Amino acid sequence: MSTPAFFFPRSVAEAVDVMDSYDGAAKLVAGGTALTLMVQQRLVSPQALVSLRDVPGLGEVLVDEDSGLLRIGALVTHAAAARHPLVRRHAPLLADSLAVVGNAQVRSAATVGGVLAEADYASDPPATLRALDAEVAAHGLAGERTIGVGELLLGFYQTALAPAEVVTEVRVPVLPAGTGSAYLKYTSRSHEDRPCVGVAAIVGLADDGSCADLRVAVGAACDAPLRLGDVEQQIRGRRLDGATLSEFADAYADRIDPVSDVRGSAWYRREMVRVWVRRAIEQALLRSGAHEHSKERAQ
Amino acid sequence: MSELQELPDDPGAVKLPDADGRVPVRIDVNGRARTLRVRTTQTLLDALREQLRLQGARSGCGVGMCGACTVLLDGRAASGCLTLAAVCDGTDVRTVEGLEDPSGELSRVQEAFLRHRAFQCSYCTPGFVLALEALLAVDPSPDEAAIREAFSGHICRCGSYSRIMAAALEVAGATDRREQA
Repeated sequence: MSTPAFFFPRSVAEAVDVMDSYDGAAKLVAGGTALTLMVQQRLVSPQALVSLRDVPGLGEVLVDEDSGLLRIGALVTHAAAARHPLVRRHAPLLADSLAVVGNAQVRSAATVGGVLAEADYASDPPATLRALDAEVAAHGLAGERTIGVGELLLGFYQTALAPAEVVTEVRVPVLPAGTGSAYLKYTSRSHEDRPCVGVAAIVGLADDGSCADLRVAVGAACDAPLRLGDVEQQIRGRRLDGATLSEFADAYADRIDPVSDVRGSAWYRREMVRVWVRRAIEQALLRSGAHEHSKERAQ
Repeated sequence: MSELQELPDDPGAVKLPDADGRVPVRIDVNGRARTLRVRTTQTLLDALREQLRLQGARSGCGVGMCGACTVLLDGRAASGCLTLAAVCDGTDVRTVEGLEDPSGELSRVQEAFLRHRAFQCSYCTPGFVLALEALLAVDPSPDEAAIREAFSGHICRCGSYSRIMAAALEVAGATDRREQA
């Protein structure tokens, strides 16, 4: 194997051009935490490495009031996004799920664009971004397009990105006021481990206490974050009592195609999905505006 | 070179490997400008240990979990095993060897680790010391929770954690909760 060439393009367009000139044989380097490992372990043998380090404009976090989108530059690190006031305010569960990835060294290098482009099933943020209906902006030979996270993540380390396409931004619809949300990470071996199962839940209640919005994505348990839109739809308009939550969690547990790995067998994961989907929704309910109102009334 | 047929006119800074598969990288290491010739797949940890013979950063798990390879990269704690040396071109790297001042006086973190004998085999010690140095640089008086979080990516197989925490809390100016009790 020859040693790959190394590029520091100074714009997204340059990065796309270099990637294109290698026709799928080049790899992008963002935070580098995942790629360095893959190269060291010979899981990938690229002919070129293309660092995004010197590309300006990919490190911003802002809220676009017109579109209602929280826009996070692809090179924003997990640590920076997790402590950013706009992320904490408009997508608190995203801040929570970025803050539990790996350890401090990983979080200060790994990026929000990189974690999606890598499509590692055993990571925390993808499930949360799936539940949030987030999109990525990607630049390629034909210009920019947006891709929903659900369409982006196809399977184990598989994405819908073209070889010369560069993720430039992650766009998250801001949560309406009063919406409750939670990301729960279940680790089966140690505190700092990757998740055995991760669940992101978003709940909005109507004035009468019935469910107006329920979005749940399960991560790290199968090839790509699992969302069941039809099951979510069936729950809307109903009260989220214990029986309803059990029915909802059972649907996720029954329909997931779980992976077996060192963090848990497929059978075990299915049962943990049953438990943690329910707990994540309960946690989100506790943080919803309806719950805050009822607390105020009780006081 | 053969694979580089249709490159754009200005592909930014390009580093093409020489006949030995190496590229030049300029890094400021412990305050001294160094030029290394590294393979583009080589880690920063490997470059520091093999080329510069700075062996305070150690190879442990090799996958960014144990913290033994920690260095300060532009001031932040970074895992040397998860960092490509080529990406460090133009950066400032500090290893445990660079913590003492020119007269040989140890940093206050190092002194506290010595005072509390916060190690047995010491394999993990540079990582813990640098993690605390990085934390103190952004938060001069961190609380116990912040220190534990900064140490979360560091493993001490000897189990010296309570002594390490005691040393860290002393430097942070905090009081060990067990002493208060």
